[in-house]
Amino acid sequence: MHKLQTEVLVIGGGATGTGVVWDAALRGFKTILVERRDLTHGTTGRFHGLLHSGGRYAVKDPHGAEECIRENQILRKTHAHCIEDTSGFFVVTPEDEGDDYPEKFVAGCNAVGIPCSEIPVAEALRREPLLNPRISRVFEVPDGSADGFLAAHATVNAARVAGAQIMTYHEVDELIVEERSGERHVVGARVHNVVTGEHIVIYADIIVNAAGAWSGKLAAMAGAEVVILPSKGTMVAMNHRLVNTVINRCKMPSDGDILVPSHTVCIIGTTSVTVPNPEPLRIEPWEVQKMLDEGEKIVPGFSKARVLRAWAGVRPLFQETYTGGGRDVTRKLALLDHSQREGIKGFLTITGGKWTTFRLMAEATVDTICEHLGTQRPCTTATTPVPGAEQGNYWVGHRLHDVEEQRLQGDLICECELVTRTMLENAVQRNPALTLDDLRRDVRLGKGPCQGGFCTYRAVGILNEMESAGNWNHDMLDESADTMQWNAAHLQSPAHNLTRDVTAGNGKGHSAESPTVFNPNLLLRDFLQERWKGVTPVLWGRQLKQERLDELIYLSLMNIDHLPDDELASPVTDFYNFDTTPGPFEPEPKKVG
Amino acid sequence: MHTESWQSVGPSLDECIKCNICTSYCPVASVTDLFPGPKYAGPQSQRFRENGQPHSPDHSVDYCSGCRVCNEVCPTGVKIAEINARARAHMAAEEGIPLRNRLLGRNELLGKVGSIAPPLANFGLHNQLSRVLADKVFGIAQDSKLPRWPKGGTFGKWVKKTQDQRLKSDKKVVYYHGCGTMYYEPFIGQATVAVLEHNGYEVIVPPQNCCGLPLLSNGEFDEAEKYHDNNVNKLVGYARDGFDIIGTTPSCTLTLKEEAPELLDKHDADSTDLKMAVWDIFEWIRERWEEGDFRTDFRPINMILPYHAPCQYRAHRVGKPALEILQLIPELDVRESCARCCGSAGTYGYKKEKHLIAMAVGKELFDFVAVQGPGVTMTASDTETCRWQIELGTGLPSRHPIEIVAAAYGLYNLESRQLTN
Amino acid sequence: MLDLVVIGAGLSGLMAAYTAAQSGLTVRVINKGLGSMHWGAGTVDVLGYAPDAPEKPVQHPFTALANLVVQYPDHPYGLLSSDEIRAGLASFVALTEEIGLPYRGSAESDQNLFLPSPAGAARPVYLAPEAQSAGDLSRSEPMLIVGFKGMRDFFPDLIVQNLAKQGHQARSAFLPLSLVTDRIDANTVHLAEALDDLERRTRLGHELKKLVKIGERIGLPAILGMNDHSVVIADLERLSGVPVFEIPTLPPSVPGIRLYKALRSRLLELGVRIEAGMEVVSAEMTARHNGTPGSIQSVISATSARPYKHRAHNYLLATGGILGGGFNSDHTGHVWETIFDLPLTVPQDRSMWFASGFLSPTGHPIFHGGVVVNDVFQPVDGGKLIFSNLWVAGNILANADPILERSLEGSAIVTGIAAGKAIANL
Repeated sequence: MHKLQTEVLVIGGGATGTGVVWDAALRGFKTILVERRDLTHGTTGRFHGLLHSGGRYAVKDPHGAEECIRENQILRKTHAHCIEDTSGFFVVTPEDEGDDYPEKFVAGCNAVGIPCSEIPVAEALRREPLLNPRISRVFEVPDGSADGFLAAHATVNAARVAGAQIMTYHEVDELIVEERSGERHVVGARVHNVVTGEHIVIYADIIVNAAGAWSGKLAAMAGAEVVILPSKGTMVAMNHRLVNTVINRCKMPSDGDILVPSHTVCIIGTTSVTVPNPEPLRIEPWEVQKMLDEGEKIVPGFSKARVLRAWAGVRPLFQETYTGGGRDVTRKLALLDHSQREGIKGFLTITGGKWTTFRLMAEATVDTICEHLGTQRPCTTATTPVPGAEQGNYWVGHRLHDVEEQRLQGDLICECELVTRTMLENAVQRNPALTLDDLRRDVRLGKGPCQGGFCTYRAVGILNEMESAGNWNHDMLDESADTMQWNAAHLQSPAHNLTRDVTAGNGKGHSAESPTVFNPNLLLRDFLQERWKGVTPVLWGRQLKQERLDELIYLSLMNIDHLPDDELASPVTDFYNFDTTPGPFEPEPKKVG
Repeated sequence: MHTESWQSVGPSLDECIKCNICTSYCPVASVTDLFPGPKYAGPQSQRFRENGQPHSPDHSVDYCSGCRVCNEVCPTGVKIAEINARARAHMAAEEGIPLRNRLLGRNELLGKVGSIAPPLANFGLHNQLSRVLADKVFGIAQDSKLPRWPKGGTFGKWVKKTQDQRLKSDKKVVYYHGCGTMYYEPFIGQATVAVLEHNGYEVIVPPQNCCGLPLLSNGEFDEAEKYHDNNVNKLVGYARDGFDIIGTTPSCTLTLKEEAPELLDKHDADSTDLKMAVWDIFEWIRERWEEGDFRTDFRPINMILPYHAPCQYRAHRVGKPALEILQLIPELDVRESCARCCGSAGTYGYKKEKHLIAMAVGKELFDFVAVQGPGVTMTASDTETCRWQIELGTGLPSRHPIEIVAAAYGLYNLESRQLTN
Repeated sequence: MLDLVVIGAGLSGLMAAYTAAQSGLTVRVINKGLGSMHWGAGTVDVLGYAPDAPEKPVQHPFTALANLVVQYPDHPYGLLSSDEIRAGLASFVALTEEIGLPYRGSAESDQNLFLPSPAGAARPVYLAPEAQSAGDLSRSEPMLIVGFKGMRDFFPDLIVQNLAKQGHQARSAFLPLSLVTDRIDANTVHLAEALDDLERRTRLGHELKKLVKIGERIGLPAILGMNDHSVVIADLERLSGVPVFEIPTLPPSVPGIRLYKALRSRLLELGVRIEAGMEVVSAEMTARHNGTPGSIQSVISATSARPYKHRAHNYLLATGGILGGGFNSDHTGHVWETIFDLPLTVPQDRSMWFASGFLSPTGHPIFHGGVVVNDVFQPVDGGKLIFSNLWVAGNILANADPILERSLEGSAIVTGIAAGKAIANL
């Protein structure tokens, strides 16, 4: 059995975990991150991409608001290329009138230093012509739109450069707990590679539980109690941007009151429903309806626009059960030192929080790690931009611009989202990928209107050719120099992915010992099912027509439902295969508490 | 900038199912890489072009000729050509408009200036040296076919001169002649008046100006709006009084009916009243004919006549009424072209960087004419720029269908393009 | 006044128009835009998978059809006798001969052909353009599947590997795309147009000759010429010395466009114009009243200004299903027929539209619904005629999922012909 020794082991490859591995590596700790699937597979890959100004919390949670604005200003420097500077409006719609919330909001923003200015409604409507003309007041704050996928890659990239090791598709089977002079110590974890089945033991001085909605389950492996109430939030993406500014309702935060422009789409969110398990997450018809109804209040005609897709994420809401006077960093993010709580040494849980504050959460976590390991090393993440940040903010037109500038139109594989063949090949070669879904996160493959209708087949064809040439990197532990120099910032940029000959074959990807699950037919089926999962809750009108074209292509033309190897499954096949079709319409259940 | 119109393309781009039928039929994309095709430039790129961007992300949309074949073939109703026109206007607003495009957009002004002293203007425009200069300095393609100012003066002058001979009748129609007829081809107007009077209609020729299409297709929306407003002011009274306003240039009537109101967000009562009163002449004649109110006392015309319904005519979505009427003329063997576009697409073919594309697009049509045999002596098409392009591509004279009809009535000489009486 | 206005320019509409025009009727086809033929493989699927055994391909479609109509009497095929279906397909074959795009079936009569799909699966097809039929998987010659480097719509390795898994002998080879085109951005239609050029196809033929072994046949993407297709195939076969066949590609479908254009020309010869870009937005009609069916006075299409009324004695609705735009749906679960608001069998409830899983072997109920017609293809409501002068054909018909059962073109052709005949026989 393979054995690894490290100082810090981080479990969980979402924003929090990637932040911790980055911070720890920058402070010189030998660090490993394990993630049971791809990076951002969990909540980080399923949020609406809002870079909070803090305005949303200005009234309800000033401390959280202050953290947001501070982190907002930091991330704009450290992760500039993962952020679109959309700005944000807080608007008072006719439904929101009649109380003094706007005054409280302004006061709250002023109190914690969120730049906030009221702008004339006419000015707001000039900038956002589709906005409800009946809004009465508009406040502008520095909200932004963030790409959580790219940010995770960029953060991990920075960690790798600093020496960290990232192991995706490695699932923790067991935490190794030892008794030492009457104290329980978590000394390591047994993990296995979910692709190859290989078992690995990782010994670590300290282990960070950053498993998000799964952190309760992981803590239990150490004998610790962490109560997480998974709260499902459903989001709906529209086919194109209806607004180019983040639009918040100026009222007490509730369901469906944020509309975020994100790359080529805009996303309205969210609902909030406590669920027993973090997956699978079914989306109920009332949730979709509620998002459309709320969208209608922001942009009249919203519910008639084409809906692209719906998905749900889980907020890992931490419920404090420990009464011994812990040292929670804030009410929102929870850093649990289990040596103090339960006397379990070498084990920390970091949970709660929000994407905007992931760096701060990591800082707090690694500060505690330093304490535990008896060393003083200052945090430098706030002043250390990750590779690629020098590119500056992204803008929605950048791919279109790049493709035209470099004349890459003929190279486009995903025509909706302007993904070139070379982007795909680079992503596969430089970045471990198991499914097309991973590539979707990496390069936005299949995220546009046709939802994989054309690009699924093309991507499979290309990967199959790469596989034949020995050019697909299946090795999850690959840390070659080439990979380290690869700048994750380039993943999404056609201009940085100019044609290289990949068919020459570098042969490094696919060694005889590493068994591969590569099967083109499985890739096809998995990705089509993955896309189906997200469209079924919103399948009507134009998107239904699109789906029927996709059926014509994959059934009538390709006959993929009668391809060989239909017994094969990947480690994530099951994840895509659950009933996502809408049930009978039931009204929204009453909220408890 | 018409911000609202920019946004109002949204609902239409949502209809796109990415099937690429438009790209497969786009006459420009089929001959050049410079235009990435209607789906790409239209609904696809539109998702990447939003307000508040550092700059227009793409420029290849400028190679869209605006022929609207994409709209015609799209199975889901995406208004692709409009999306492209707006993207171009956005670019123009941001980056300014080259002098050449400003010139081409102002054909009315050019027409007026040239009409002051036609021989001088013709010499000025058509001599070898000035064509070379226009090509080098302005980028107006040296080999494109520019119009000539007629010796006899403008159509307006003819109307004035012959006003005593004009028919007075209870049945009246208003004629929107457009700039081409006014300044370059008054004989089209003369043939039109002759045909209408032959059918007992008094023809009113009110003051009017350019429809604004050249400005719209060069992205000068603000200027186009002035032209459109002027036309509405000058013509809406006739529309309200129940007169039909008929035009002989399908691109002009299309602009009054649909392009200007759509692109400029002119959905007020005046624009709409005008829109609903405007007819293409053969669209109007077909209605009269179906009502039994159109004379078919045609003399036979024994010839093979390749006829091309311009793309801008097809964009009216009224079928091919000129073809239906021409087919009533005895012995006239009308051959219907299925070519997508002649290539000129208004001012597109005049631009140096696009002239070769325009000629390559037109090849489908020129080849169609060629295979109709050596007996073909002329062609027919409804829009002047199409006729000039077909003449350039085939070496054969091209006529407006109304000239053919006038000739069939015995009122018009197709060779000399003069009224016979 | 016209005898017949056909709404929709898919296979069913065009076959109905052709049938009626051949019987001497004056016909006009109006359509919102182009469709169906431009998307598919360009083959004629009659029945590839029977609804009761979706995993096994149908070998003998007419045997399977006989079972199908017993099991599902409401199936559109159930409106026709087996002889009528055969006759309809035969007249389609005759028409394709006439227009120079001959379609062929299996050498053994009544059998489905099995042709390689672009993913390398075996497609059960009843009739195929001659250029595809040489891909018949029951033939013994090994296949050389040739692709073009950089072409994004065709992947020989994928095809070959899947064919091999199914026991077929195949190997792949690549040629540079620059052999076909100088362009950097060409779709399948542009590539097909490029091969109309004699010099290019000659070069391709010589290269194929170098790649192929004696006794093989060559499979290429379906880009072998647009206007001069048959000459292109003949030249390539002559130069390479072996049979050459086409494998269809992602839309746009070159074989489908060839068929559409050839049908359009034939119809024009018969005086039938296809008026593209005319979207029917409303109709003048009287409703059914006191046991008397209603009737259509005109259908009205949108123009650049005033509505355009199309008046005819009879109207044929061939607007297709969800994909063609024959019916539409919204988020409330409402589904409606887009022109005459005809009753649909589709459940008006989103929770009943889908089965779980994209590739559900039972298909999705919403795609199974449509308009119910009587045995002469006139729409009925509870067995009662709705309009005296309206007919319906093609994929808008209820009680079949033509994409799932692979009957898309077959049912369009035979129902289109049958409706055209019914109108002509009035």
